[in-house]
Amino acid sequence: MDRADTVVQIDGLVKHYGNVEAVRGIDLKVARGEVFGFLGPNGSGKSTTIRCLLGLLRPTAGRIGAFGLDATREGVEMRRRLTYVPGELRLPERLTGMELATSFGHLRGGFDPARRDQLAERLRLDLHRHLRDLSTGNRRKIALLLAFLFDAELIVLDEPTIGLDPLMQREFLAMVREARAAGATVFLSSHVMSEVQRAADRVAILRAGKVVAQGTVAELRGRARQRIEVWFEDDPPAAELKALPDMVEPVVDDHRFTATLSGSIQPLLTLLASHRVGSMLVEEPDLEEAFLDLYDGEPA
Amino acid sequence: MNARILELVGGPLRAMRRATVWWSLGLAALVAGTISVWPAFKGSSGISQAMDQLPSGVVQAFGLQDFGTPAGFLRGNLYDFFVPLLLAAAAVLFVNGQTAGEEASGRMELYLAQPISRRAVLIGRVVAALIALMVVSIVLLLAQLASDAAFDLQIDTGLVLSTIVLSGLLAAFHGSLAVAVAGIRGRPSLVLAIGLGVAFAGLIVNSLFPLSAVLAPWQGLSPWDWAFGGNPLENATDLWRYAALAVPSVILTAVGVFAVARRDISGA
Repeated sequence: MDRADTVVQIDGLVKHYGNVEAVRGIDLKVARGEVFGFLGPNGSGKSTTIRCLLGLLRPTAGRIGAFGLDATREGVEMRRRLTYVPGELRLPERLTGMELATSFGHLRGGFDPARRDQLAERLRLDLHRHLRDLSTGNRRKIALLLAFLFDAELIVLDEPTIGLDPLMQREFLAMVREARAAGATVFLSSHVMSEVQRAADRVAILRAGKVVAQGTVAELRGRARQRIEVWFEDDPPAAELKALPDMVEPVVDDHRFTATLSGSIQPLLTLLASHRVGSMLVEEPDLEEAFLDLYDGEPA
Repeated sequence: MNARILELVGGPLRAMRRATVWWSLGLAALVAGTISVWPAFKGSSGISQAMDQLPSGVVQAFGLQDFGTPAGFLRGNLYDFFVPLLLAAAAVLFVNGQTAGEEASGRMELYLAQPISRRAVLIGRVVAALIALMVVSIVLLLAQLASDAAFDLQIDTGLVLSTIVLSGLLAAFHGSLAVAVAGIRGRPSLVLAIGLGVAFAGLIVNSLFPLSAVLAPWQGLSPWDWAFGGNPLENATDLWRYAALAVPSVILTAVGVFAVARRDISGA
């Protein structure tokens, strides 16, 4: 990835709070125009990394920034080109959604009331209500509205769908895709795999302050286990099946063979080609399984 | 002035609107209520005699000398400590609410993620708190002058004005101390403890130290002495007294503004 194509760049990021090592050396690059999934369980360092990116936290060591700008030293210039939805969302309760949008419009410039109204309609938001009177989901929608209200080259979303109903989650994913199509880069942090799986081009998986895996969704799926079920019309070659590489818990039961495959499926297919197979089921692994595997494999 | 600068001051000012109104009304009511009993004390020798019965130290510590004169009455009932202490508390609370309070609640997060510097945000909030303090002080002054007229308390308007300006500056001093603490560490408990603690400590030093021959020379440590040591309700105030409060206020504010950019912002 050449430098001009890199939007977010993180080099050796370390962040300690007193004795707590929240981030323990993260390196990653996010390319222009991609939706980058930042996955990990709570406490894995996702929000800390994002708060460093926004210049809210000062890194203990390493560098973090976007557009070639340093988050600590050139934060204002950098933030002019990005928008953000915080994970722990706290809004000024005395204001209405309308007042908050106007206030942000004054702070940022480039405020378009028509776009505001359009987004409010799309998110089914009543902007005339005080923020204190809104439900968690509606407050989240306000934050989403603010993030998509301004032209941003980078949209940073920390657990953006918490509290949203499934319909709105779908709408949110559509908004992410549209933003991407319009050229924006999206940095999407989540502990919800399905959300990232549906939206992201590439994913980094975090655990205990470190990136334990990075790649495209397909690559990570490839590294994940797949559940295999085969029904034979003749007698299954039990011994050969059990001898296949990367088979976890292979079971031959009458004409049925089940196993979990943690590597390539090719050796199995080669073996099956010389037998009469009635039907076969390969369950596509979802990222959640990939994710759990990586957790199992890595010491804390 | 551009929209961004207006918003940096106007946003916090909107948030303080209600508090400003209540502080203004409260202080105005205190002043008017107190002065409404002045006619009963005016020239009353009974009061002076009653005061004579008290130990002189107590009379001095509570500002009860000359209770029958306009200046003595205002000093003892309002300006020796009630009004300045309440104004200082208002300033510290205004600042805390707009800085450390906002930060600890997590509401600063989304705000500071906008393309504005933390220093600009803090300066905007300091200006807003200062405007709120000025509004409260002006309402206080108007209440004082109206009550003086209504209850025939005869005192030089210039002396009242300088006393209220000194009270406002003393409050600004404590408010800027709160700015410095909030800039260094955004914890409301710390800002309140130091801001209000220094106000109380200064009051105690100013009221009680003169009663002890050993401690008396240290009275000058108290900002209250810088403000009111010249008895502003009776004498014209030296210019240095205004400066003695204003200059440290500017320095403390600068410390807070400098420090806030050099630390982590705490999340919700």
